[in-house]
Amino acid sequence: MNNMLAIVDATFKDNLDQLTLHRMPGALPFAGKFRLIDFTLSNLRNSDITNVAIFPYGNYRSLQDHIGSGKRWDLDRRRDGLFILPPKNLYIVPGNMITFQRMYEHIEYFRRSNQEYALITAANIVWNIDFNDVLAEHLTVGADITEVMYENIRLKTFILSKKLLLDYILSYDSLEYRNVVELVEKAPNLRTHIYKHQGYTRTITDSFNYLKSNLDMLRFEIGKSIFKDDYPIFSKEKTAPPAKYLSNARIDNSMVSSGSIVDGTVINSVIGRDVTIRKGAIVKNSFVMANSFIEENAHLEYAILDKQTVIKEHTLVTGTLRRPYITQKEQIVTNQERQRILFVASESYPFIKTGGLADVIGALSRNLGRLGIDVTVIIPLYSKIKDSFQESLRREEGRSILYDNEYFFIRKYSYRYKKVKYYFIESHDFFDREDVYNYPDDVDRFAFFNKAVVDLLDDFEPFDLVHIHDWHTALLPLLIDNSKHQGLKTLLTIHNIDYQGVASADIIKKLGVTNFIFRDEYINMLEIGINTATKLSTVSPTYKEELKYEYYGKNLTYALLNRERDFYGILNGISSSLNPDTDKLIHTNYNRNNLELKAENKAYLQQTMGLAVRADTLVLGMVSRIVEQKGFDLILHSFDDLLNEHDVQFVFLGTGDASYTAELRNLERRHPDKIKLNIGYDATVPNYIYAGADAFLMPSRFEPCGLGQMIALKYGTLPIVRDTGGLADTVFKYDPITKKGNGFKFFNYDANELKHTIIEAIHIFREEPDVWTQLMKRAMKSDNSLKRSASRYIDLYRAIIEN
Amino acid sequence: MRKHVIAMVMVGGRGTRLENITKTTAKPAVPFGGKYKLIDFVLSNLSNSNIDTAGIITQYEPHELMSYIEHGSTWDLDVNQGGISFLTPYTTYNGDLWQKGTAHAIRQHFRYIDQHNPDYVLILSGDHIYKMDYNKMVDHHVKVGADVTIGAFQVQKDASRYGIIETDVNQRVLSFEEKPKNPKSSLASMGIYVFSKDVLKQLLDDEYGEHFDFGQDIIPLALARDKHVSVYRFNGYFRDVGTIDSLYKANMELLDNPQFLKLHEYVDFPIYTKSSNLPPHHIGKKCIVKNTMISDGCLILGDIYHSILSERIIVEDGALIRDSLLYPDVRIGEGSTITNAIVLEGTHVPPESRFEFAEPTVLDAERIAEGGASS
Repeated sequence: MNNMLAIVDATFKDNLDQLTLHRMPGALPFAGKFRLIDFTLSNLRNSDITNVAIFPYGNYRSLQDHIGSGKRWDLDRRRDGLFILPPKNLYIVPGNMITFQRMYEHIEYFRRSNQEYALITAANIVWNIDFNDVLAEHLTVGADITEVMYENIRLKTFILSKKLLLDYILSYDSLEYRNVVELVEKAPNLRTHIYKHQGYTRTITDSFNYLKSNLDMLRFEIGKSIFKDDYPIFSKEKTAPPAKYLSNARIDNSMVSSGSIVDGTVINSVIGRDVTIRKGAIVKNSFVMANSFIEENAHLEYAILDKQTVIKEHTLVTGTLRRPYITQKEQIVTNQERQRILFVASESYPFIKTGGLADVIGALSRNLGRLGIDVTVIIPLYSKIKDSFQESLRREEGRSILYDNEYFFIRKYSYRYKKVKYYFIESHDFFDREDVYNYPDDVDRFAFFNKAVVDLLDDFEPFDLVHIHDWHTALLPLLIDNSKHQGLKTLLTIHNIDYQGVASADIIKKLGVTNFIFRDEYINMLEIGINTATKLSTVSPTYKEELKYEYYGKNLTYALLNRERDFYGILNGISSSLNPDTDKLIHTNYNRNNLELKAENKAYLQQTMGLAVRADTLVLGMVSRIVEQKGFDLILHSFDDLLNEHDVQFVFLGTGDASYTAELRNLERRHPDKIKLNIGYDATVPNYIYAGADAFLMPSRFEPCGLGQMIALKYGTLPIVRDTGGLADTVFKYDPITKKGNGFKFFNYDANELKHTIIEAIHIFREEPDVWTQLMKRAMKSDNSLKRSASRYIDLYRAIIEN
Repeated sequence: MRKHVIAMVMVGGRGTRLENITKTTAKPAVPFGGKYKLIDFVLSNLSNSNIDTAGIITQYEPHELMSYIEHGSTWDLDVNQGGISFLTPYTTYNGDLWQKGTAHAIRQHFRYIDQHNPDYVLILSGDHIYKMDYNKMVDHHVKVGADVTIGAFQVQKDASRYGIIETDVNQRVLSFEEKPKNPKSSLASMGIYVFSKDVLKQLLDDEYGEHFDFGQDIIPLALARDKHVSVYRFNGYFRDVGTIDSLYKANMELLDNPQFLKLHEYVDFPIYTKSSNLPPHHIGKKCIVKNTMISDGCLILGDIYHSILSERIIVEDGALIRDSLLYPDVRIGEGSTITNAIVLEGTHVPPESRFEFAEPTVLDAERIAEGGASS
């Protein structure tokens, strides 16, 4: 009889992109016939633990299906056994580990269990461990909490007494730590101990280490240390005959699962169940999941094929170990022809820009063009564009568009800009105006724009996909479905959910759509787009998750939840011209290998700003619009204390809301030698701050993507951010135990947490300069390039087009 | 709940002609096709036919089979009412009841049949290879109003090895001869039967000698009593693997004629087998593996042609295996050559040895002790 209960954490988020769109990380296939959670469950079973609670998040159907009653792991018991404890509270966004709050939701489970110790572990670890050894050491050293680590990897696995755990769970709402990881890092009065696990161990968190650890199983000594005779790994029973090799098969260092039929070449790969590999096909350095079909002479390298992928004959599919080519479930991959993508948006740099959307459209289309995509962009022809570009634009044919029972004349203009074909739609009635937005008939203007684009589709060679952006173009899927272009696939990207295009319902009639079911006298154009586009995306994986909660998703939460399985998050990127090694605007160029030169930029910044030129004072930079969203409340509520008590300088550049600006000025007045505000973008160039500051502040309440932190990382300026949206996806929190990370993060929108996080950064900056340098180097290595962003969109386009 | 059909499955056969393969195990436990045992076919057929009540009649070396079948959960036969029951020889007030012949065994366990009181009893054997929906045979039995229905197949050759049936145009059996010298037809009994329960009871209650069988005794008696004995013709693949040669051939047909049993098309009619928690097999660098089936948990460092490998087999560097069946836990030492062998479970072939046979031959520790041979 074992004295431990086990909590299997499956609540955390991951960077596995589309691999976890339909399943939780724990349900990911591994080594051909296993699922990730098999390792943890088998370890529990082999450690004689019989009381196991799995805390899932999101779509756990696939996990439930796999685990069943837990019989496979001897967990179908009368007393104790297996419990799956789903979330009760819909408002907890997944973090890096299960929270005490989440456990509190199932407090009765903890109360009812009579084991003396609690083991907390995760569903995404590949390892073979006897937890009794951990408990024995925990007891021998007399620790309060024992954390299990492998080399320098924290495994989010802990043992503590159930009594202690219960204390934390019951007081979760008054604690400053949300989970055991934070507890171990922050609680000073606890005796913590680290158990060093020997033997191959990996946590699966992204597609790189997912592929890598699968291929690791092909190394005998590693495979043997995971699949042991006396500590077997159990998995759900499946029925499949032995794998079969036909006369043209060639196999080199590979694992092949039951039911597969191989007549091609397999090199250094792991093949799942019931995979067919035809004659002449080559599979190299890849992981192929169950029921995939690889046709004659197809060629795969560094690919992860999700279940039921079909690779058509003569198709070449290649990725790299760092960035494997990943298919989606049931994708049919054909020989890649040049994808023809149509962008439709309300604005695009360099022709017209009112905000970030224009930058994204301009930069993304250009980078897609560079990567070989045939991109066409259509935007309205505003007066401003006419004023600056009239001579360069080519006048093309005109056309009449029926809108609201009236014909309106439009004319197409074209321009070729860096491999991208631009088309501008001229309409004296709707677009020939001074400004882009803020007219009383905006909804009519953009509804008309959508109608014009659909009619114009007749003039173009067919497109493979129409990529639309925000509410201005969100009626296109509906219009396409009601036109002869029905079936043309669409991707709606939500950049800003605050603007939704709410209009009176007769807009639909004006567009000539007759089969629309009205629920209201108003329509919400963005919502219609969400309901009708083939797929949806937003600008970061975390923001995508957040939008499923009302705090972020607001009135569209449920529309988005309904499309959960078609909803992707892809980060924007920054231009490669933003590089401290080549940036002509900064004082001294520097790179990862001559970081000491960054100090000259710092001295220059301090000098220009009229601050004391001191190398050992942390300079905190911030470049931001002054709006509530960006976290100014937190700054205003914590900076007096911070600046009074600590040696830190704050340099700000931005413009915006008048009342916040006034308050910031007051703050500056109280600390004239520590704060320098530059209100208005003309005051200085942001690059001075990115290059000269030590740390970069972004305490946003929400942040769909965020570019400032990406630039800061590139310039080796460590971001201090709130753990939300794109910030959560690009900034990795400094871990005091492993010394890993590339910045500092806090979770709650709380002035005190912000202050403590800045103080932590100051401490590392002053007391552990070597660690700080390591963090800078790691930050500068982060890849948040536009190219990376564009290639993710290409993968998504492919997946949409091929499905 | 009363059952419409229950099955009685004979698994007591010794299979003497399989030599050392059945030295310590019953014939239905003999490995087949890499990861199966012969018994998997009849149990999977029951499962796929939705017949969930089966008495498993054991006698010879029952241990391995019983621990393999357990509660039948592998075949979804672990139901609350019915399910799998092991019917073993037992001792009574009247003395030992050692089973003497197939029909004798059923008579001894007739209480099991009475307990479920079905309309029809399906008599099956645990050592045949076939995929069959028994409902079709029972439906035939009901439709023609038969008392007994014999499952039958068309033999290609060696008709005198089987029970040969002669029928009229309505599939009514006119004569039945067990292993005739001069067969009257090529329609052979599969050794599986549907009996209306009461008819079965009547026929078994007759006076017999020491030893009595369905083929030898019961069917002729039924015909003699003018019972309606019908034939259900099964057109699918069917093999009774009673000899080394037929066992070897049936295995190799999986490689050479996969369309016969369609083992890899298992979605509609799966053959279930107990899986053993092994990782997929691993084939090392620069090995040649052709026309071969390999099961989980194997480590292959040598070359393999036209062979079937069960689970947990290690083939060391430079070994060469041709036209062979390797049973679980076999280890083939470095540089050894094996041709035309059936290598029995757990056999370790020492390095640099040669066992090349002209005909399929059983290779086990005993045979290895006699020394490497080539012929």
